[in-house]
Amino acid sequence: MGTTRTLRFTLNGEPVTTEAPSHWNVVELLQNRFNLYGARESCGQGLCGCCTVLVDGVAVSGCLSLAARVDGADVRTIEAPAATEDGLDDVQQAFIESGAFQCGYCTPGFVLMTRKLLDECPQPDDEDIRHYLSGNLCRCAAYPEIVAAVRLVAQRRATRG
Amino acid sequence: MKPFELLEPRTLREAATLLHAAGDAARPVGGGVAIMLMLKMGVLQPETLVSLASVEDRYSTIALDDDGQLRIGALATLRAIERSGLVRDRIPVLAQALRRLSNVRVRNVATLGGHLAHADPHMDLPPVLIALGASVRVVGPAGERVMPLADLHAGYLETVLARGELIAEVTCPVQGSRRAAYLKCTTRAADDWPALGVAAVLEAEGEVVRSARLVVSAATDVPTRLSRAEALLRGVRIDDALLARVGEAAAAEVTPIGDEHGSAAYKRELLDVYVRRAVRAALAAR
Ligand SMILES: Cc1cc2nc3c(=O)[nH]c(=O)nc-3n(C[C@H](O)[C@H](O)[C@H](O)COP(=O)(O)OP(=O)(O)OC[C@H]3O[C@@H](n4cnc5c(N)ncnc54)[C@H](O)[C@@H]3O)c2cc1C
Ligand code: FES
Ligand code: FES
Repeated sequence: MGTTRTLRFTLNGEPVTTEAPSHWNVVELLQNRFNLYGARESCGQGLCGCCTVLVDGVAVSGCLSLAARVDGADVRTIEAPAATEDGLDDVQQAFIESGAFQCGYCTPGFVLMTRKLLDECPQPDDEDIRHYLSGNLCRCAAYPEIVAAVRLVAQRRATRG
Repeated sequence: MKPFELLEPRTLREAATLLHAAGDAARPVGGGVAIMLMLKMGVLQPETLVSLASVEDRYSTIALDDDGQLRIGALATLRAIERSGLVRDRIPVLAQALRRLSNVRVRNVATLGGHLAHADPHMDLPPVLIALGASVRVVGPAGERVMPLADLHAGYLETVLARGELIAEVTCPVQGSRRAAYLKCTTRAADDWPALGVAAVLEAEGEVVRSARLVVSAATDVPTRLSRAEALLRGVRIDDALLARVGEAAAAEVTPIGDEHGSAAYKRELLDVYVRRAVRAALAAR
């Protein structure tokens, strides 16, 4: 019985149903059942943000979340396409323009966290940005460019009105 | 990670009953953040996990009591507490302490009950809540009891909770006219686990302190009141000479334990300095 779990949830806008062992975490669930690798486990301890997933709009570390957490929830990963021509939203666009990555391993987590930051605080200053993103690590140390990218999005959204 | 069975009861009482019946082979899960780390390291190998995620909604709420105390459900997330208008307004020191507790994703998931029950002395909120005089309501298979939070922790990763007992809610007197501060010293990343935490809650008129509560964490097995340092503060005007004696007294009355965040000798030094700073910060706070 309880050692596997039926999970019904919405994944990037699509309703899905699957079975998964109770001890799987959300990263294992997304990779093994849905072939989604945007959320990846790196530190495995909640520190780096590479495994970030939005569950009912709340950012969580997939590496520390039991798969059962997504049952009945609305789950969004970096793979969810934006409603634009190229499928990229303004945050992703700004990351590209600002050169806010090198290898890109950390980028899905930074992009998802940036979206949440700007939802909660549309015009963050540098201190707000650093504080909110302190749980995301970039081994390529693109931090100045990441902060610049976040500012760029905020600026564009402000001028767009 | 070893497979386990996951149970998801709908009431806290039912969870307590399941845990009581399963004994040592079972563990409750709040946010699961600390549990997941222990499972991954293999230090915890339960046969059964009892998730508290589906219990009654009232255990996630934050509300003001009839007698003016703040009641926070054990399943409230740290982030919900941090962002609660009631908390910011009535117990601002709690919201301030939360801001530097790990990162947003951890706070989004971690629950107050798990935070307290984990009994890791590096947790940031126990010293603050103990200094404010908080108590916990505990629900077991047969009934419930209320105890001061100061009595909950029995040692490193140990509480006084009996088999099947669960933290249901925390009640904390509002700050009111008390002035409070929590200072955390981290030695690696800015919002890391503390090498030392000091909470100070003062009743003061101007610069004269009427009463003080000081609690240290992360340097000792359990959060610890600094009674001798507190006594020195009572009824006197604060100046640097007095604070020097307060810092000395604090450093002398506990035996710090070293860890990867700092040696015992270093923590003793930190305690001396941070107690003084915490009293100053509390006096300057509202
Ligand atoms: C990367 C990282 C950094 C962190 N840094 C900090 C930090 O700097 N400062 C800090 O204070 N904390 C820090 N934390 C810890 C975080 O605050 C705790 O992990 C969290 O509060 C535990 O809450 P939880 O709900 O996830 O607990 P869980 O993992 O669900 O449970 C923890 C323990 O409590 C038991 N339990 C859970 N709920 C209850 C209940 N209602 N009644 C009785 N027992 C219960 C469980 O069986 C388990 O033993 C950090 C965590 C991570 C992952
Ligand atoms: S892999 Fe989850 S936070 Fe680093
Ligand atoms: S771009 Fe390489 S880790 Fe951030």
